[in-house]
Amino acid sequence: MTVLTRAARLASSLLLGLALCGSAFARSDDARLAELQARLRGLDAETSYVEAITQIQRLGRALGYYTDKGYFGEAADLFTEDATFQWGMDGVYKGKARIRELLTRHGGGGLKDGPGLPFGRLNLRMQMQPLVTVASDGQHAHARWREWDLLGVYKKSASWGDAIMEDDYVKESGVWKIAARRYYLNFVAPYEGGWAAMKPVTGNWQSPVVKDFPPDAQTPASYAPFPAVFVPPYHWVTDHTLRAIQSQPPIVAPKRPDDALGKLEALADAKELQLARQESVRAIENLQAMYGYYIDKGQWRKAASLFSTQGTYEFGQSGVYIGNAHIERGLSLMGPSGLEEGQLNNYVMAQQIIHVSDDNRTAKARWRSDVELSRGGKGRWGGGIYENEYVNDHGTWKLSKLHYYVTFWGDYDEGWAKKPFPMDPPSTTNPPDQPPTVVYESFPKLRIVPFHYNNPVSGKPLGADAP
Amino acid sequence: MIHYRKKATGVLRHCLLSTALIALCAPGAQAAPSEADLKPIEQQLNALGTRIQRLQDLNEVTIVQHAYGYFVDKAQWRSLADLWTQDGTLEIGGRGVFLGKARVFEYMNVGLGPIGPHDGLLIDHQQFQCLPTIDEDGLHASIRCIAFVMSSGGWGHNYYEDRFVKENGVWKFQKLHGPFNMYSGYKIGWLDNTVLNTYPEKFPPPPDLPPSVIYLTYPNYYIEPFDYPNPVTGKPMPPPSPRAGGEAFGR
Repeated sequence: MTVLTRAARLASSLLLGLALCGSAFARSDDARLAELQARLRGLDAETSYVEAITQIQRLGRALGYYTDKGYFGEAADLFTEDATFQWGMDGVYKGKARIRELLTRHGGGGLKDGPGLPFGRLNLRMQMQPLVTVASDGQHAHARWREWDLLGVYKKSASWGDAIMEDDYVKESGVWKIAARRYYLNFVAPYEGGWAAMKPVTGNWQSPVVKDFPPDAQTPASYAPFPAVFVPPYHWVTDHTLRAIQSQPPIVAPKRPDDALGKLEALADAKELQLARQESVRAIENLQAMYGYYIDKGQWRKAASLFSTQGTYEFGQSGVYIGNAHIERGLSLMGPSGLEEGQLNNYVMAQQIIHVSDDNRTAKARWRSDVELSRGGKGRWGGGIYENEYVNDHGTWKLSKLHYYVTFWGDYDEGWAKKPFPMDPPSTTNPPDQPPTVVYESFPKLRIVPFHYNNPVSGKPLGADAP
Repeated sequence: MIHYRKKATGVLRHCLLSTALIALCAPGAQAAPSEADLKPIEQQLNALGTRIQRLQDLNEVTIVQHAYGYFVDKAQWRSLADLWTQDGTLEIGGRGVFLGKARVFEYMNVGLGPIGPHDGLLIDHQQFQCLPTIDEDGLHASIRCIAFVMSSGGWGHNYYEDRFVKENGVWKFQKLHGPFNMYSGYKIGWLDNTVLNTYPEKFPPPPDLPPSVIYLTYPNYYIEPFDYPNPVTGKPMPPPSPRAGGEAFGR
């Protein structure tokens, strides 16, 4: 049973039962009162559930802002007293004090100086794409995050960093804290040459930090970073029953009697719908993040399974693929299943603008992808915008339409300004079901991707502003 | 947890159950619930309503910030300025403070170039890691956010520390403040080719007020104060240590 309490479920099926059985009768006020009280308990639990996801998202982002600027003590304060932090293959560090020192040593701060960073130290670690799963007890949770880093020591080094994190959270005295972080470093690549120039690691690839600051335990399972393709274990097993991508089924508010109790019932209806739509926003964030994590690792079948049966997938000028099997084929144009050694396929999911329909049945969202690619030793940057649609399938959100508009592709070494690439035409070996719905060119051409929403403040429809 | 078949049998079971229940309950009219019965329910509903509204506010504030980023990308300055209140303000980098919606438009349209998009001019301002906070009054809000900039010229990373106000049920920018962290060209990145900041005279138009804080970006250190306390300890942010530079923590 999920967070939705048995009481609330019973109450809602009671309603459904009434509708289905179709008997015209008046229920006693006592029964209505008891039902309303049960619904309130369910609503309270559901609200706490959505708050939990929101607060955990907040924790992860707050952590990033602290480490960016050398506030390592404040960052460590987000962990429980006996928390663990597993850093790549360096090992596991236990307890708040050790975590503080670990972050300080990796971030470049002084251990006795207080917050801040010395002149010439860059430690920008962007925290993105949270997929938060709250346990049914409402007291524990897990999340997967993506980190992109801009690291540097002035005039000495400039690097890109890439990592996936899997976290455990616990609620202590009403406050969510990080209980464990598994930081799966994928690469720290010199700016010059970038990730595509990286060589496979041989043997021990621990960071220099370990020498002066040995861990409390070894990393339990060995892995190799990029250019090897490693999938950090997911904290979830199956997709479509995962609470994280679920919300309430579509809602049609029943007509309530015109009495004092009926007014409260109608108010509860309205609050349940309002909450369900916010819960759906979180579920869609989780769903899109999940899609992104599968794409990262070439797991085309898993990614395709997140679409509805008649879902569509359109990428750049490659045409439209319809239905799960064809979508899997369309996705496989990015590379072999599971990717190949040296292939990087990082599509960040960010900057979401999600609108859920009034009945909680469908949704639309705009997203942005900042893309890091490599294949055969060649690195690429990319950028683009998604305009997607989603459907609430009996309480589980699915992608019904994914449309990725390419803004640019650019060569890593030369940059997009000097060496942009055009989009691929439709494949001849794995042809799409339909041609592209919109014909356009990517950078240096620029066009406005149509917005699914009006201006959020003025309410004016959005097209292209008059000059 | 939701399976069609399971659900269908569940419904059937509850249908039978509810029919039985109703058969038990139906006969015998009872007195309507008293105000004493209903008052606590109404209070609980209103308290839940406030919590639910906060969740919605957090999403709505973030949408305004994210929408701003998409408008910058394509130089949609009219749509962008529409995100401000009439007397809202804007301060980006070291250029000083611009007062009111019209000046926000002018800052963009004169300072960054006419309404676009313009082929060959990439100015993607990706909005990452937004952390919104709603004030107790439910009518004001703050956000900390990142712009990761990929432009024709190279890279940028800046923060936002913005304020919002809810007017007639709509969240708007009351103040956008975008302190820079790092700007660099493409060729060697931030190895040593960084822009230290902008300043009021760097390009037109001139600001209405001087910069609210003077600071230099990477390789120097500056931290824009957090609008929120530590989410776990509740403690306010301590100032950075002196080794981070005298101008850090501004104002």
